[in-house]
Amino acid sequence: MATTHTLLSPAELNYLHTSLSLRPPIRSDGRLPTQFRPLTAETGILQGTNGSACVTFSDGAEAIVGVKAEIEKTPDAQSGDEDKGKKARGDWVEISVEIPSQRDDDAGTIFLGEMLREALLGDGEFAKKLWINRRFHWRLHIDILLLSPALSYPLPLLSLTTHLALLATRLPKLKSEGDEDPMFDDDWESSVFVYPREGASEGTRPPITLLVVTVGDNVIFDPSKEELAVAETALAVSVAEVRREKSRGEMEVDTKGRELKLLSIRTIDPPSRLTPPGVPNGTATATDGKPASNLASETPVAGVWKAPLGGTKFSVVDGIVQAVLEKGGVADEVLDGLDGVELA
Amino acid sequence: MPREAEPSLNERNFVSRALEEGLRVDGRKFDQCRPVSLKFGDEFGVAEVQFGKTKVLVKVSAEVTVPYTDRPFEGVFSIASELSPMVAPSFEVNRPTETEVLLSRMLEKTIRRSGALDTESLCLVAGKKCWSIRADVHVLSLDGNLTDAACLAVVAALRHFRKPDSSIEGEILTVYTPAEREPVPLSWLHSPFCITFSYFGEEGDTAVLLDTTWLEEQLRTSSCTFSLNRHGEICQVSKLGGVSIDAPVFVQCAQVALAKSKEYTELVDRKLAEDAKSRDKGGLMAELTAENDR
Amino acid sequence: MPLDTSTYSLALLRVDGRRWNELRRLHAQIRIQAAADGSSYLEMGNTKVMCVLTGPSEAQQQQQGQRRGQATAGGGKNASINVSIVVAGFASVDHKKRGRNDKRTQELELTIAKTFASVVHTHLFPNSSISLALHVLSADGSLLAALLNAATLALIDAGIPMSDYIAACTAGSTSSYAAADDSADPLLDLNTQEEQELPFITVATLGETDRVAVLNCESRVQVSRLEGMLAVAVDGCKEVKQLLDKAIKAKGAKMIREGAAEKSDAMAMDLDE
Repeated sequence: MATTHTLLSPAELNYLHTSLSLRPPIRSDGRLPTQFRPLTAETGILQGTNGSACVTFSDGAEAIVGVKAEIEKTPDAQSGDEDKGKKARGDWVEISVEIPSQRDDDAGTIFLGEMLREALLGDGEFAKKLWINRRFHWRLHIDILLLSPALSYPLPLLSLTTHLALLATRLPKLKSEGDEDPMFDDDWESSVFVYPREGASEGTRPPITLLVVTVGDNVIFDPSKEELAVAETALAVSVAEVRREKSRGEMEVDTKGRELKLLSIRTIDPPSRLTPPGVPNGTATATDGKPASNLASETPVAGVWKAPLGGTKFSVVDGIVQAVLEKGGVADEVLDGLDGVELA
Repeated sequence: MPREAEPSLNERNFVSRALEEGLRVDGRKFDQCRPVSLKFGDEFGVAEVQFGKTKVLVKVSAEVTVPYTDRPFEGVFSIASELSPMVAPSFEVNRPTETEVLLSRMLEKTIRRSGALDTESLCLVAGKKCWSIRADVHVLSLDGNLTDAACLAVVAALRHFRKPDSSIEGEILTVYTPAEREPVPLSWLHSPFCITFSYFGEEGDTAVLLDTTWLEEQLRTSSCTFSLNRHGEICQVSKLGGVSIDAPVFVQCAQVALAKSKEYTELVDRKLAEDAKSRDKGGLMAELTAENDR
Repeated sequence: MPLDTSTYSLALLRVDGRRWNELRRLHAQIRIQAAADGSSYLEMGNTKVMCVLTGPSEAQQQQQGQRRGQATAGGGKNASINVSIVVAGFASVDHKKRGRNDKRTQELELTIAKTFASVVHTHLFPNSSISLALHVLSADGSLLAALLNAATLALIDAGIPMSDYIAACTAGSTSSYAAADDSADPLLDLNTQEEQELPFITVATLGETDRVAVLNCESRVQVSRLEGMLAVAVDGCKEVKQLLDKAIKAKGAKMIREGAAEKSDAMAMDLDE
């Protein structure tokens, strides 16, 4: 589902698999196992939006995200209701993913969108930011466009772009009070960021979703298309930074570290699990029925790729989560990198 | 997926050589149309148009619905067209082909977007009730020039159509049966017609044909459809790709199209008058009389 | 939002301050994406589109359903050209989702595919397909024209042989269909506001010739206005063609200067500018 078959022979797949199983693994593009592709990022590129970002990976993969906000009336606002605080709903956020050469109702595309949505709304904090008053709320449309032809599974790219676009999103400043019809400040300069900048910034920051694969005992981040084709497990791990207000008296010892919160883990169906074309019936696991011949035995042949069978061990998942969350780990590194992007 | 049968090389050469010599396969002149027949059904709002072997039937129906929330003062008007496998095996149900998309867009632009039908007159109670007029286009057989035939049929059927009369007292809406009150025609503003020109030859200048047959249509290198009413208003022009044509040609084509559009207007007017005459049995007195023909 | 056309006849300046025969700022770029075979980015005023081209590659056997990208030059002997248009939700002022099954978008796709099928030398690539993915990032009038221009640039970037450029622009007429005054002036290159108020045509020509590849009009207009609008639009297309040409030559010169491409002896281009 993730990507279609790469046109690689069993021998080539095996070569990839063996070099990735070495300790330390050797990746075909020479990266370290935890290294991301270099990227360039820009924000505030679309004037007509509340926030936008464009990210380009060094291999040419490019995505653009625009966030647009509209005011909407909250249905059945019971005025008599006791002030239950801000009642917010996740469906105030709409995410649409457009991938060229794929239908917009394709299961894969919808899955991608839902994964990003889940990470964003997971802890229920985000929807609260869209609350205006008891009668009105913001409806946020997040449109994600993949501009380049689909090279590898675009999840990390789309997630990083969405992260930046959300950081750059601003909403007009509210002038009215209470439950009256909302009035906003016309001045864009005085608009407020959805995710406040430095200073009184408390709460969850926008999430990032990382794509992690394992080959043998190795955990590899940001896999390329070829690496995905031999992966034994592929996981999408969503994390977000949580900032807490520091009490005055506390000594600022631990200022460097950021607190990370694990939001969700989803398994991705890597193409390595599919039966590659040209495999005789006997070894194809999908045909279930009688093998065409008994010649093809189940024993692996050295130098020939065989699709992995079975699920993921818990310890492997655990290892991945550790690698993502640890201080100075991958998520930390990526967030550090993204912090360097100037927000327009 | 079945594909259309393509004409053989011999057929291609024959047709294009003939065109170079100024002849069409069926002996017509370049700007001559096949005989057009327009018939109305027994019911109001049914029209059948025939251009040679191309045959299109249109049926118009009306019902009361809720208007769209963004247009509370307007009724609903839609044109539905579907090409079934009955026409040609290359058309499949539920899978709009290129021809079908272009046909429905063409009718939409020519008739709906140009405001031929006054949709505001279809409003009954603002934001609550309105008429929904629907024209269903059925293509019975196809031998080229589908757009022109379909457009003529839709316009004729809509002008022939009578919707039940209604009245509003306070909040109560009454729709009368034809026996209670004579049905009323739609509020029709102007009658646009589609005229398609087909261009032949590598440069598009070998021949300019009107009313092409299916064979000619498969061999044309480019086409352009004009939609005009008799007042000389262009409602739509579309030359969507194909071989490029010298710009002044379009200006000439527009004049030819205008003349043709007047011809069609006259045809529809005459046929409608004939139909009205055949329905008119001499008024109420004639209906009430007990006298019989013996 | 009614456009106050009365001010036009006084100052002869349009809402955005242009004169009748002025194009909006046209900004074109090619080779913007490393991963694509050909790519382009085009701005015509506030209309911003992007084209990413893949191919010519092995024809996909109706893999993803015929619904998307329409093959025009029937496969087999010729290459087919597939076009898909994605209009981003944030492209216009209010957020509106246009599905891919939208007939208007499909008509645009068909128009672009058919136009290029007659210009590109498809017979050189039998049994293959050329896919154009067009992204509309911001729509402010003259959309079809911008898409056609962007597609031309991407095809040139990919080095696919074609007989000439396809250059497109729009032209309108200052009086609406209701007013029958004959003093109507044609206008060049309309923005959304003008498109909503005035009748207009979209014209694409073959290079700098008078040959029209696309002529599209969706609004009511007197037939006598057609000639005037057509003449203005064709002149506009010539101007657009020169601007596109300039963008491509500038990029070519830059690539030679940077050493990305070799200067051939036959090239008579002056790189000094």
